[in-house]
Amino acid sequence: MCQVSGVIKMALRELSSLERFLGLKKPNKYSSQGGKKVPVLQNNNGPALIGLVTIASHLVREAKRPELLGDSAERRAVVQQWLEYRVTRLDNCSKEEVKVILKDLNQYLEDKVYLAGNVFTLADILMYYGIHHIVVELAVQEKERYLNITRWFDHIQHYPGVRHHLPPVVVLRNRVYPSGHY
Amino acid sequence: MTKENVQGAGEEEQQAQSKKALKKQQKEAEKAAKKAEKQAKLASEQQEAEEDDFAMDRYGICPMVQSQQKLDRALVRVQDLTPEKAEQQIWVRARIHTSRAKGKQCFLVLRHQQFTVQALLAVGDCASKQMVKFAANLTKESIIDVEAVVKKVEQKIESCSQQDVELHVERIFVISQSEARLPLQLEDAVRPEGEGDEEGRATVNQDTRLDNRVIDLRTTTSQSIFRLQSGVCQLFRDTLINKGFVEIQTPKIISAASEGGANVFTVSYFKTSAYLAQSPQLYKQMCICADFDKVFCVGPVFRAEDSNTHRHLTEFVGLDIEMAFNYHYHEVIDSITDTMVQIFKGLRDRFQTEIQTVNKQYPSEPFKFLEPTLRLEYKEAVAMLRAAGVEMGDEEDLSTPNEKLLGRLVKEKYDTDFYVLDKYPLAVRPFYTMPDPNNPKYSNSYDMFMRGEEILSGAQRVHDAQLLTERAMHHGIDLEKIKAYIDSFRYGAPPHAGGGIGLERVTMLYLGLHNVRQTSMFPRDPKRLTP
Repeated sequence: MCQVSGVIKMALRELSSLERFLGLKKPNKYSSQGGKKVPVLQNNNGPALIGLVTIASHLVREAKRPELLGDSAERRAVVQQWLEYRVTRLDNCSKEEVKVILKDLNQYLEDKVYLAGNVFTLADILMYYGIHHIVVELAVQEKERYLNITRWFDHIQHYPGVRHHLPPVVVLRNRVYPSGHY
Repeated sequence: MTKENVQGAGEEEQQAQSKKALKKQQKEAEKAAKKAEKQAKLASEQQEAEEDDFAMDRYGICPMVQSQQKLDRALVRVQDLTPEKAEQQIWVRARIHTSRAKGKQCFLVLRHQQFTVQALLAVGDCASKQMVKFAANLTKESIIDVEAVVKKVEQKIESCSQQDVELHVERIFVISQSEARLPLQLEDAVRPEGEGDEEGRATVNQDTRLDNRVIDLRTTTSQSIFRLQSGVCQLFRDTLINKGFVEIQTPKIISAASEGGANVFTVSYFKTSAYLAQSPQLYKQMCICADFDKVFCVGPVFRAEDSNTHRHLTEFVGLDIEMAFNYHYHEVIDSITDTMVQIFKGLRDRFQTEIQTVNKQYPSEPFKFLEPTLRLEYKEAVAMLRAAGVEMGDEEDLSTPNEKLLGRLVKEKYDTDFYVLDKYPLAVRPFYTMPDPNNPKYSNSYDMFMRGEEILSGAQRVHDAQLLTERAMHHGIDLEKIKAYIDSFRYGAPPHAGGGIGLERVTMLYLGLHNVRQTSMFPRDPKRLTP
């Protein structure tokens, strides 16, 4: 119960951090809905928006930053894919799943600066918010094992205006463990 | 009608039965004939063997060596079988490591300690068919005496330590026969971890090894580990003796625990009870008070901690140093670190073969150290850890993971596997530790680390009876129990410092091994009392 309320609180803080990143002047008011406490945004001129990704995408459009959702059809698809990954796989995943997620994501990021390739998108922001609680718990050795995640994470947490409500995670710039010494 | 029918059926059955019986009889007869034939063949073979074996006195099982005769026979060690000995006729005593028969030939690998040589037995002038068969049937690990001619080989024998020669066997006698079934195979026990998995071959787990320690100790890896360990002890002694130290022997049965009673073994001692010494601490210090100035002691140390980790044993060998100094305890740190450096250098220069052998099974980076040894203060270490994202208090003790991480950070920054951590917080050290004169929260104490794991813990000791009493009371220690200890400082005690090193840990960490049981010959832990 406590964990669920923690998650919902996180989602709301996440949305307000996103608003600030987007430079939206007037902060929105959110409520939550259902047993899973899905965030809800009551829109003035239309029906309510439900769900983290839906609201986040809406905020991006409102701030007139559509490029954050992808500037081509392919990229839009990739961004959607990672937004979905965030809410379906990353949120509320079990301890065993964490390892698999880290391994897969690390491999995916091997040749990429951002999740959608070489441009910063909403996917990076929401994945950063969503994975923060995992990365903050990693030991130095593990951060080195998931080197590509750590690099991407460090880059995003230093991306102007993204971090806001989250504490910075220390990342060493030197490798301290010899390769293959795990 | 019915009766007849029944009768008919009965007859048929009988007939069928007799047919079956007939067949059975026939088969049995055939079998018997075959058996007889076989036996006859065997007998004739045996007879033949007995008749034709011209080499009968060149092989066999020796009567038990009961020191009946003094043979004037020089036995050459396997490691001395080099090309210089080519064409010489020599005697060798060794174990049968492996044997492989191939038609009229039999290849043996003979092993003595960590050295192996190939031996060849072929039907010819010296050896009969029966002799080759005898050699091929010898059980692994049997000890044999072999007379042979050393021959150079064209192609290096990769599987043996003596790669340039082989032995052409002329006589072979069994001195001690091994049972056919071994509890573990030596090849399995020296296979590098991970390599066996790929080829689907077995590796031996640690408990099996330790349960059959006598056989496990025969492996090249074990042989090398314990030869190197003996080297550590010798280098330790030699270096300290050269520095003017005196070796002392201290009792292991003591009346009071030196550092609080929780982790000591209690033994019944006539009508009262005693403890097994968890360090020779008190006695080293009493020797200092008795004007021995520089002492060291090599002996067993007991810890009753119920911790089943890769680096804890309940009995281990402690290398302990205690030394009076002039004005600053860093004189002692310098002396100890120099001793450690001499040991590392000695191992590097004299035990390269052993290091290489262990590395084959347990690969590790070569051990690195600086001269003079790196000395960090506790505060600096905490700062380094914090910079790496570790949250810890100023006076908090180092946890094992943090210790290891610090080791990696130090290695990365200074490129050394050996360093001293100085000025520990007073709160985490025993009562006899001298407080730091500049900051009462810290102390004149230090740990030494190899590959990020603690090998030595030491400090300047309080040599003032009054301060010692204060500190003991602060730690809530019963003064009555340590009266003799405190009293020894009342009659003039020089300032002194020291430390104790765990022999097994030094060996383990120098070689980059992962479990202290690998460097203890007969390890003792909470779950193991045998062998």
